[in-house]
Amino acid sequence: MKKIMIIEDDTVLRDEVATLLKNSGYEVQVVTDLSTSLEQMKSSGADLILLDINLPFVGGETLLQEFRKVSDTPVIMLTSRSTEIDEVLSMSFGADDYITKPYNPTILLLRISAVLKRFTKTGGSQMYHDAEVSTVKGSIDRNGKEQVLTKNEMIIFQLLLDRQGEIVTRDDLMTALWDNDEFVNDNALSVNISRLRGKLADLGFEDAIETRKKQGYVLK
Amino acid sequence: MSITEYLKDRLSVYMIYLVTLATALIFMQAFHIRTQCIIIVYVILLLGGGIAECWVFFRKKSFYDKLNYCLDNLDKKYLLAEMTEAPDFFDGRFLYEVLRQSDKAMCEHIAEYRRENLEFREYIEMWVHEVKLPVASLQLMCHNDGSTRYSEQLKRIDDYIENVLYYARSRNAEKDYIIKAVPLKRVFSEIAIKNRSELLERNISLSAEGLDTEVMTDSKWLAFIFGQLMGNSIKYEADEIKVYAEDFDDKTVLHFRDNGIGISEADLPYIFEKSFTGENGRTHTKSTGMGLYIVKMLCTKLGHSVQADSVQGEYTDITIVFGKDKLHNIQ
Repeated sequence: MKKIMIIEDDTVLRDEVATLLKNSGYEVQVVTDLSTSLEQMKSSGADLILLDINLPFVGGETLLQEFRKVSDTPVIMLTSRSTEIDEVLSMSFGADDYITKPYNPTILLLRISAVLKRFTKTGGSQMYHDAEVSTVKGSIDRNGKEQVLTKNEMIIFQLLLDRQGEIVTRDDLMTALWDNDEFVNDNALSVNISRLRGKLADLGFEDAIETRKKQGYVLK
Repeated sequence: MSITEYLKDRLSVYMIYLVTLATALIFMQAFHIRTQCIIIVYVILLLGGGIAECWVFFRKKSFYDKLNYCLDNLDKKYLLAEMTEAPDFFDGRFLYEVLRQSDKAMCEHIAEYRRENLEFREYIEMWVHEVKLPVASLQLMCHNDGSTRYSEQLKRIDDYIENVLYYARSRNAEKDYIIKAVPLKRVFSEIAIKNRSELLERNISLSAEGLDTEVMTDSKWLAFIFGQLMGNSIKYEADEIKVYAEDFDDKTVLHFRDNGIGISEADLPYIFEKSFTGENGRTHTKSTGMGLYIVKMLCTKLGHSVQADSVQGEYTDITIVFGKDKLHNIQ
């Protein structure tokens, strides 16, 4: 389980982000004593750090600069400051991504998983049961039998696979598609899912995607 | 300063001089002074007076002409006193001093307003950042509780907050944007996702073409501009939004086109004006007349031109032209 550290001084917001991350299967460490943020950042061993810019004691940008001297753990800046200047500055201090508040929760999760993936490269292929999933080729390979997925199907399958065994809402799927410039509507999503089901069935994975009424889909 | 103007101004002085000369003539004749003598005296007096007048005239002329020239050519007229030298004659010096003092007073006055304006803007910015925290919390709460009931209202609040922020930014003389190469696609999809639930709910189809290009702009400002345009398309009953960009050697032209109710020909020239609501603002959803005004202001500051083309009942096409400066392309 990936561990994410949250450094944010607004306690309500911090706890909500923590809940969001926990619900999405991350281990969460929350910094409550902001006067020792830097020490905690160094010693936590987290896989990713969410860092607010406007912090008491030491500002987020300074923290990041200090932290970068000793570690290259990915850091995503969360901020309500929304000028280009702030963003350019943060990135130049070594942030891996920059998200402005208020953020779409699904987008936040997508960005987190994108940054994490960048840091734990596995050669572009993942396993689904005994089948090999190649994002680069856009295909699923099982015992020499290959199914090529369209871009949309791949995006959907990827998200389901990342959260295998959990419920993924239609809204989450939609956000992932739109985040990849595929501005599909409800019908198109249904069509894509049924096609994906068909392709998985061809590979011998019957009923791999289960529909949970009014909740979403689960990849078994 | 023309000679006739000067002579007209000095007319009373000359009259007094003439009366003096005439009086002197009467006295000289009463004392039986010889005519040749009188003529010589008068020639000397008139000649001396003439030379004196010419000297005074040219001295003043050189100062006032310079002053006039500066006034005509300065774009900031209140800097006039700084641009001219003090003259060497008394009334000129007096005028110069008065001008300097009143300019100084005015500059101080402006500086005070500018400071107040800046303080107000800084407060607005701070307030916006603060109010975004509870909005962000609420949004996450909605998501965590799995309720979508409030998210549309939250988005409305967020939109209104953005409007205030960008209005303040567009009004300000300070430069707080960065022009750099921005991928159009990234900005557009960000806004598309933000408006997703509304677009899907109203069954509006969205298509983007030719956005795989970069333009020189500030991505945050451009995102706001896209947000306003998309908001308008949604508000004015479009069911198809088409965004496409055309790349030319010297510019990139972006079209934001929808098939909504359009804008009447009479309203079209005024839609970018402040507080203009027009026919659509009256007959459809309440309009503040601020959105497109802010869009125009931001575009002007960024150096983009923005235009609208529309046929009522058919389409609205907003065009933004991004300039390409060869300097930016130096490798």
